[in-house]
Amino acid sequence: MTQPFIGFEKVSKVFGALTVVDQLDLAIHEGEFVSMLGPSGSGKTTILMMLAGFEAPSSGKISVAGRQVDQLPPHKRNMGVVFQNYALFPHMSVADNIAFPLSMRGVAKAESDQRVRRALDMVQLGALSDRRPSQLSGGQQQRVALARALVFEPQVVLMDEPLGALDKKLREQMQLDIRDLHRRLGLTIVFVTHDQSEALTMSDRIAVFNRGKIEQIGTPNEIYDHPATRFVAEFIGETNLIHATAEAADGEVSRVVLANGQSLSVGRKALKPGEQVCLSVRPERIKPSGTQENRIAGTVRDVVYHGDHLRLIVDAAGQTVVLRSERSEAAPTIGDGIEMSFSPRDCWVVAR
Amino acid sequence: MNVLGFSKVVFGLAAMLFLLAPLAAILPLAFTDSVFLNYPIASYSTRWFNELVTADVWRRSIINSLIIGFGTTVLATVLGTLAALGLRRQEASWLFAFARTAFLLPMVVPAVVLGVGLQLMFARYNLANSYLGVIIAHTVIAVPFVVINVSAVLQAIEPRLEQAAASLGAAPPTVLARVTLPLAAPGIISGAVFAFATSLDEVVLTLFVAGPNQRTLARQMFSSIRENISPSIAAAALIFILGTIAAATVLNVLRRYRKPARAVS
Amino acid sequence: MSRRRRLPVSLALIAPLGLFLLIFFAAPLYTMMSAAVSDPIASRALPGVGSALASWDGSAAPGPDAQAVFARDIRSIEDDQLFGDLVRRLNSAKPGFRTLMSKTRTALREDLKANDLVAIDERWSDPAYWQAVKTATASTFTDRNLLAAVDLERSPAGDIQAMPAGISANRTTLARTFVVSLLVTIACLLIGFPYAMIAASVEGWKRQLLLGAVLLPLWTSLLVRTAAWFILLQDNGLINSALMALGLSSGPVPLIFNRTGVVIAMTHVLLPFMVLPIFSVLIGIPKNLMPAAASLGAAPIRAFWKVLLPLSMRGVVSGSLLVFMSALGYYITPALIGGAQDQMISSVIAYYATGAANWAMAGALGIVLLAATIILYTLYLRLASDQQVQP
Repeated sequence: MTQPFIGFEKVSKVFGALTVVDQLDLAIHEGEFVSMLGPSGSGKTTILMMLAGFEAPSSGKISVAGRQVDQLPPHKRNMGVVFQNYALFPHMSVADNIAFPLSMRGVAKAESDQRVRRALDMVQLGALSDRRPSQLSGGQQQRVALARALVFEPQVVLMDEPLGALDKKLREQMQLDIRDLHRRLGLTIVFVTHDQSEALTMSDRIAVFNRGKIEQIGTPNEIYDHPATRFVAEFIGETNLIHATAEAADGEVSRVVLANGQSLSVGRKALKPGEQVCLSVRPERIKPSGTQENRIAGTVRDVVYHGDHLRLIVDAAGQTVVLRSERSEAAPTIGDGIEMSFSPRDCWVVAR
Repeated sequence: MNVLGFSKVVFGLAAMLFLLAPLAAILPLAFTDSVFLNYPIASYSTRWFNELVTADVWRRSIINSLIIGFGTTVLATVLGTLAALGLRRQEASWLFAFARTAFLLPMVVPAVVLGVGLQLMFARYNLANSYLGVIIAHTVIAVPFVVINVSAVLQAIEPRLEQAAASLGAAPPTVLARVTLPLAAPGIISGAVFAFATSLDEVVLTLFVAGPNQRTLARQMFSSIRENISPSIAAAALIFILGTIAAATVLNVLRRYRKPARAVS
Repeated sequence: MSRRRRLPVSLALIAPLGLFLLIFFAAPLYTMMSAAVSDPIASRALPGVGSALASWDGSAAPGPDAQAVFARDIRSIEDDQLFGDLVRRLNSAKPGFRTLMSKTRTALREDLKANDLVAIDERWSDPAYWQAVKTATASTFTDRNLLAAVDLERSPAGDIQAMPAGISANRTTLARTFVVSLLVTIACLLIGFPYAMIAASVEGWKRQLLLGAVLLPLWTSLLVRTAAWFILLQDNGLINSALMALGLSSGPVPLIFNRTGVVIAMTHVLLPFMVLPIFSVLIGIPKNLMPAAASLGAAPIRAFWKVLLPLSMRGVVSGSLLVFMSALGYYITPALIGGAQDQMISSVIAYYATGAANWAMAGALGIVLLAATIILYTLYLRLASDQQVQP
């Protein structure tokens, strides 16, 4: 493999007695869109701040484009940063905000004006160049921040929860816009978020963080369908964690057994007999009928109406299982006995 | 209205009368034609304002107050602003916590005590009876106001704004000049206004360190009340109160300006 | 910028003000304090005598060697002012030195060989005089002024004792300062607490008006306010005119140049410092607490006593400390509105420093005032930082 564009090698950050980032190794390739996803306090923002140069690592090495950058002050790193709450300069107009990085680089006035205009057009804000940031809506401020971070054509763009302050509709629009810019301009983007659906929508790869360590890194598909740990399974999307004990691995198929003695097939997976495990099964992969290989019988405890679908909460094998069901005349009601089933391909074994 | 409500209104009005009546009482006397600083006013004139600008002691003292006030404002604003910048984001360090407390102490120490010390020391270093000496003495007690005002406005500046400037390529001095100081300007100006007002109203230190040539307006009012009270005091008071209202207006305008200037979030 | 890189920059930024205040704030206070406790005159004027008398037992006049050193030192004093200072210093320890010293100096100057002091004046045979010389030359430190600041002195034997009645009035002044400050604090509390309650209980323009009435005087020059009270309080001033016009009094009530006037004017000056802290605590108290107390069956007065007062105690104590502390050091208002019998400690300090050129006493009283102020300020800071910890 070629040398990564952005590389973290055994990077740690310690504040007093608290280890915020623990021996991080991470490689990001040129042109990639990588999201750092995790709950607050998982260290993802600290990693971004170290990459931007606002925090120095306690130990380890950070390199960008083959050059070690840990000792480089932020203003020499040439990275576009889009901050949480945008950090637009309130005392400058929109155009002056965007011209700021160009003026720092000694770009001549005429060229600077032209590039500012192009950047404003790119984010569809050409008409607002003389406004103060406080006169703009949240979404417009977001676009100005984006234009300002891109106008000087940085080698890397860092985004720290850039969409967190927007309402849902606008946020979804901006997600598509940023993804589009990423493709069009061939940018390398490191994107910090705590919103898993945002990460799934936008990223080439997602790094899931927990307590200063990467739990799993992979494409949205891998992360969603094959969570490496129980934390990832629970953090990304909604899942059922069914407690089970590994039974035997006989050739192609592994089997686990539930508390009530029922045996289930989980596909090929190296398991030690007797190991305590969890089966992660997404609610939408469980069918409210006995059509799949793994069948479980249960009693409907509650039916929750969700507009386009129903959610059934079922007591089965001494545990609670949630599944999605289409709306139909034949939908089960509370107290009904029900047979559920899922395919071995749709369940994933994680350590308990 | 019940008894409680009624007594609230009466008490409130009485207390307001107590607070405001003295200020209201002195102003009309600035326009009396009499030589006595007293009511009733038989006829009105502006002779006491003439006295202020023509009589040598008053004119001289007004000029002195302006010189010393200006010097104090510049010195206190520069020292106080630098210190407030240095104290920023060092809350965790005991050294800086100590410095912050120490920088505010001149507000607390009785002026007479400081006056005795300054008089002793100035005599030794040839600063007694000099403009520089008075400016230094006034700066000592004016500088806490600058530190407080500038610290407050700096604390309101979001650190992300300066990080953003750095990420866009601005070196630390450029961040200071193009982002931090413009955003802190309202606080710096408030601090300067406070410093000027402090110098203008200062009497005790001036008594100890100033010679007859540095007699300020406040000092002149002090001896005039003490020795030879005349309506020129009321005329000077009117100037003071107009100055106060002007300063308050400036600060109010700044406060209004400061709101949109706060970090956008 | 990372914390490590910030530190030197931060230090460089606070250094100018730190140095400025070290030189023009800390050093003057130190100078004042050392003026109060230092006693360098005798050892400067008589540099050899200290060691010559070090081993003297004090039972009789010292031997001829020590006397010869004393005579040599006296002869070599060129500076008449230094000699005068020395005489004053010795005379303050034992009366009689004034004549003794000038007689001795004249005799020693006329006869350059004479070393027998007893022959010049019989009094040199009295060990008490030598004791005074020994004490004065032995050390450059003295607690005389500090003791005198609270009307104490050392007996010839070195014990601390009260000064004879009538010699010094410092204790009276201190007590008066304390009483006036206390009266002002109580007056501010009696007016300020209800005022802050009213301001906190109303909203909109009414609150703005009430607070404006507090802030406007605070912003107005202290001298203007003092001059205004001068006008109101004088014998033929507005208050007396009103009283007489209403027939409440047949002649002018003495309001100025006495304690009543001082307390009234100082209360006016310091009232904002009481109202503002109490107000800021009161508006932090949830509005529904008093109705809640009422719904639980507490009558208004009881609810005030059990709920509002305890919750606002912090503001009351802060305000009272602030007012009391400021009142202790007040100079201008008592100096202009008070009579000779109402002068507070600041006036006495100013008198010693500018009138009597006695910096040692000014410094000693300054130390007393400074110590009282710093103690009160520390209490106030404690209270203020506790407040921040609270949610």
